[in-house]
Amino acid sequence: MTSNTTPRLLLLLVILGAFLTLGYWVNCSGVEQPIRFPHKTHLDLNLACTTCHYRAEKDAVAGRPPTALCLGCHMGGDTQSEEIKKIRAYGEKGQEIPWRRVWRLPEHVFFPHQAHVTAAGLKCQTCHGPMETLTRPPARPLKTLAMDDCVGCHKARSAAQKNKANEARLATVTAQRLPTDCIACHR
Amino acid sequence: MALWGMVIDLDRCTGCQACVIACKAENNVPAVGEKEAKRERIISWMQVLTETDEEHHGEKMRFIPRPCLQCDDPPCTKVCPVYATYRNPEGIVAQIYARCIGCRFCMAACPYNAKYFNWHTYQKEGPGQNPDVSVRPKGVVEKCTFCHHRLQKARVRALAEKRDFDPREYVPACAEACPAQAIFFGDLSDPVSEVARLARSPRAFKLQEELGTKPKVIYLTEGEGGG
Repeated sequence: MTSNTTPRLLLLLVILGAFLTLGYWVNCSGVEQPIRFPHKTHLDLNLACTTCHYRAEKDAVAGRPPTALCLGCHMGGDTQSEEIKKIRAYGEKGQEIPWRRVWRLPEHVFFPHQAHVTAAGLKCQTCHGPMETLTRPPARPLKTLAMDDCVGCHKARSAAQKNKANEARLATVTAQRLPTDCIACHR
Repeated sequence: MALWGMVIDLDRCTGCQACVIACKAENNVPAVGEKEAKRERIISWMQVLTETDEEHHGEKMRFIPRPCLQCDDPPCTKVCPVYATYRNPEGIVAQIYARCIGCRFCMAACPYNAKYFNWHTYQKEGPGQNPDVSVRPKGVVEKCTFCHHRLQKARVRALAEKRDFDPREYVPACAEACPAQAIFFGDLSDPVSEVARLARSPRAFKLQEELGTKPKVIYLTEGEGGG
């Protein structure tokens, strides 16, 4: 009886191990983008993040750029780059580049990009990490954000603004608008 | 600091339930299904309560739209063991779903039955739902928040446009949808606002005021025509 069940148990363990390894590998290989977009090359040309992620200034979501925006620069002339050829192919077919989302906040979080980018003047790198150094698309977020990151920043800025609240009217208004109240971010 | 409040004129309410539907659509309030409904597990943040008119028994109904009354002294927040529900500085009784452990103490404490429990996963995030409001998971208590996400969005809009926020930009879905314009909403701390003026009216009353919950949803009784 024992000699019969041991190999079966071993086989089961091997199969289970293989599944776990595969799951781990799939999970860790991260997100692969359709275009090997180098952030560094673009930012070295003194382009701003919001040149491509233009929705960050107007909307809650920053979004990924549409094909037409990429073609605005990459349309004319000959190119040896396979990646630029891919963009043009998407353009010719009238398709959007199927960018895949990498950064994802929990569903219960309300985070409006426009307020943080335009009013607070936060640098994108504060939350997204050193994107300007990337020569290929990130497979996973460069920074893992926790609730403390949001609350810490709000508390620090609120305190700083309260100190100079009497100096200018705008400062007073802004100080009132930096809530650390739970429902300011929890939706 | 604003103190958000609502005035509902019962003289104008026709009981059409437009506020109920608007609330459901706006806040991703789930339809629980027939089986669950029979077990009295319907979720409806805004509910139109009906009451028979004592003087005209059987002939006339009185309609009382009932959202969360956003009490200034809320009994529900005092019993929450995990600080998942609390009164925020602007008087909105908030519910933080990510913190809620589903003990339902708050439901027992609320004298207005304005809180609801998710017995199952009734829905998942998807198209057709309002992306500004979360989809509540199984095992948490939910309730009306005066469409707080609309306040957040209006504030962000004003902030991005570098201007002051005007309280008139913030109106909950029920008040917006009411075809009879029976629901007024605004800042109770501003004495010249319409809600503050109506709240001082001799017709004004609060539900179960004797409990000392100090609700910020104020009703106006039917006028002389109502008997």
